[in-house]
Amino acid sequence: MKCGFCGFFCPVYQEERMEPAVARGKNFLVREILRGNQEFTPEMGEIIGKCLLCKRCVANCPSKTQIDRVVVGARAQMVKDKGLGFIKDFIFRKVMSNRKAFGRYVKLASKFQWIFPKGEGNIRHLPDFLKALGQGRHIPTIAKTFLRDQVEEVNKPQDGKEPTLRVGYFMGCATDFIYPEFGKKVIDFLTKRGIEVVVPKAQNCCGSAIYFSGDFETGRRLAKDNIDAFKDLDYIVTACGTCSSTLKDYKVYLPDNEEQQKAYEKFAKKIKDSTEFVVDVMKLNLGELKLKKEFEGKTATWHDPCHLVRYQNIKEQPRAILRALKGLKFAEMPNADLCCGMGGSFSVYHYDLTRKIAAKKMAGIKTTNADIVVTACPGCMINLIDNVAHSKMPQKVHHLLELVE
Amino acid sequence: MIKESLIGEFEKIVGKENVLTSKESLKAYSYDGTTSWIHEPDVVLFPTSTAEVAAIMKIANAQKVPVTPRGGGTNVSGGSVPIQGGIVLALTKFNKIIRVDKENMTATVEPGVVLMDLNMALAREGLFFPPDPQSFLGATLGGIIAENGGGPACVKYGVTKQYILGLEVVLPTGDVINVGGRTLKNVVGYDLTMLFVSSEGTLGVVTKAELKLNPMPPARKTIMAVYDDVAKAGENVFRVLENGVIPNKIELLDNWVINRIEEMMPMGLPKDADAVLLFETDGIPEAVEKETEKIVEIARKYGAKDVRVAKDQAEADRYWLARRAGFAAVFGKAPTVFAEDVTVPRGRIPDLIRKCKALAKKYALEIVVLGHAGDGNLHPSILTDIKNKDHYDRAVKAMDEIIEGAVELGGVLSGEHGIGLEKQKFFRKVENPKVIDLMKGIKALVDPNNIMNPGKIW
Repeated sequence: MKCGFCGFFCPVYQEERMEPAVARGKNFLVREILRGNQEFTPEMGEIIGKCLLCKRCVANCPSKTQIDRVVVGARAQMVKDKGLGFIKDFIFRKVMSNRKAFGRYVKLASKFQWIFPKGEGNIRHLPDFLKALGQGRHIPTIAKTFLRDQVEEVNKPQDGKEPTLRVGYFMGCATDFIYPEFGKKVIDFLTKRGIEVVVPKAQNCCGSAIYFSGDFETGRRLAKDNIDAFKDLDYIVTACGTCSSTLKDYKVYLPDNEEQQKAYEKFAKKIKDSTEFVVDVMKLNLGELKLKKEFEGKTATWHDPCHLVRYQNIKEQPRAILRALKGLKFAEMPNADLCCGMGGSFSVYHYDLTRKIAAKKMAGIKTTNADIVVTACPGCMINLIDNVAHSKMPQKVHHLLELVE
Repeated sequence: MIKESLIGEFEKIVGKENVLTSKESLKAYSYDGTTSWIHEPDVVLFPTSTAEVAAIMKIANAQKVPVTPRGGGTNVSGGSVPIQGGIVLALTKFNKIIRVDKENMTATVEPGVVLMDLNMALAREGLFFPPDPQSFLGATLGGIIAENGGGPACVKYGVTKQYILGLEVVLPTGDVINVGGRTLKNVVGYDLTMLFVSSEGTLGVVTKAELKLNPMPPARKTIMAVYDDVAKAGENVFRVLENGVIPNKIELLDNWVINRIEEMMPMGLPKDADAVLLFETDGIPEAVEKETEKIVEIARKYGAKDVRVAKDQAEADRYWLARRAGFAAVFGKAPTVFAEDVTVPRGRIPDLIRKCKALAKKYALEIVVLGHAGDGNLHPSILTDIKNKDHYDRAVKAMDEIIEGAVELGGVLSGEHGIGLEKQKFFRKVENPKVIDLMKGIKALVDPNNIMNPGKIW
């Protein structure tokens, strides 16, 4: 049975209303490939590329079809058969997977920032930086000094006592290159509360944009880098929803043999998104968290990143924190779990669709009359800031941990 | 194959972006909700106005190119599969809700509006469109009208045909007609509106529909009753009704379905039960309370082992989610599934269930029964595998006998799915040849070149 209910939940189908856009169409076509009735044509690449991997269809499929795996698997097979497209190849293999080179290119790009619109909307994710130019979007401001160059590898608890926990901090590209101040804030938040924070210099990109595009080979290399970089720690914490889900899901998408499966599973157990770490591991008394002064009296609404709400089932933790913050009003937006339209490199190739999908998010935000939009994924933040600016809306976009002293 | 030059004509009508010709796109329009029927069209067109549909039909008629209209493609009869190639007329972008008339409780819609989207918009006005085919998340109004869709709420509210006041239709010749109107009563000549309702897209393309709406009931309650004999559950259905309570839904799940649901999402359904009935009552709160009490009392009196009233909406939602998951469970458990759609007069439900059980034994098959017990529309499903010839042959025999059995009990071979391709051979078998000839005569009159969804029904 091919019920087609996925169309109702698919942000891309809701815009296009054409069958190749939706999970049912993609599933059928991939099956045709498996049956030998269909080649990996450029059109096929276009079709399986046009998916946000937001997993709304997966979450609502009566037959529990794992469309994300179908799409990612097909992309991987395509990369194997045909190779990555030129631009993706250059960025993923030569730039992103080499942390130093990546940094250099980002720096180089930062010299040209004067050509982009000024103001708070100066945001855009980096991997596809060069390609993103000229599409009328707000490009991110690149930090003068990256986070990696600003922090020590070992950060002791501020009270000078023995640490209650030793955790690794996984920065993620966006925090490293665009939001270093936020990264320092995360470290401060943890060391203030008796935790030793280790920031291994050898950590690499999580690999999200890379392996979700089907480049499993580079993905496995990054997985190995990160597993090696974070040995002997109780937990690995990240404040990027996409990174936490990507690190946890090495085991889902990447294993090529049993050894890898085991290593990835072991690694996944240590990964904690910052929101679940605060609520489930640190078990902080949320009522004692102090709201930063600048947010007092403000109304906040929460945007569920796909990589938190559907990839990790993290839904209640951030809301619990927001509700507990005294002096802050919380207003739930309709469709809080609707994808913002970013989808990593999706938004580079389909920026027009990203804008249309984000418009629905903006409409939801407007109904709340919130002053701030809070989320926990720099990827979403980049897109939300871009679209708030385009819609000339007054809301500021913040990471949840930015709100707390 | 369609002539290359026609593609250019179509691009002029609907715009280049609304014409799909790539091999991949055509494959994505080769199927519907079934697993068994697959055929690619030559081109897929996305018109967004009556004028565009009319222009396309004129060309198709002149060139004698088959046209298969298609909405959400959620149908389970093979009806929207372009079995003779040609054009798939995809109406998914022709999807505006033109007007909601609160005073007259009507709505005017374009054919591509998805039922769930309509009901979400109507809810804001305190209204709803009662027919509820369970494909509501994807089914479009055009398709729902063409298939005369229905669902669980039929017990109380009936099916689509009771809610269609008027239609704008583009005929296969490209002429545009209006049938019916906007009034509740209308006896001006033959009721041609009903000719297009359940025409399965073989007589024309619905481009606009005038719908009758109901006010949204302010309260509803769900009752689950458990039985140790599925036939007893069947009897309970008419016992409730004969006692003067008309619930808006009465759904049946048998033991097999209950167990699959419990595997997929444990929710405390009794695994040893032979059958479960789910009732829903709706209306003004006081009436709902009374009706609920009455259902509980009658169910207990006539042999229900256990009766539970959902204490809140969340619990009720869980039961209904399980009901919807039931169908998926059936399809996930066997390579090939015959999902029957037989419908019998309500009082004969226990007979039909007994018949299914006997056939399962006779042919050593798994026959699952779930469906809309409240209106006699059961979906006995036979689990089989087309690759296992012996098993498959037995399944075919059992299916034949279920259908014959239903007809003998005074029923029909399809309650809500339609004939399409899936039930053609039974249609020929059980329908009176004179009636088939009359239908064919009407078809020839309306569609002289036989281009409108050809190859379906008979």
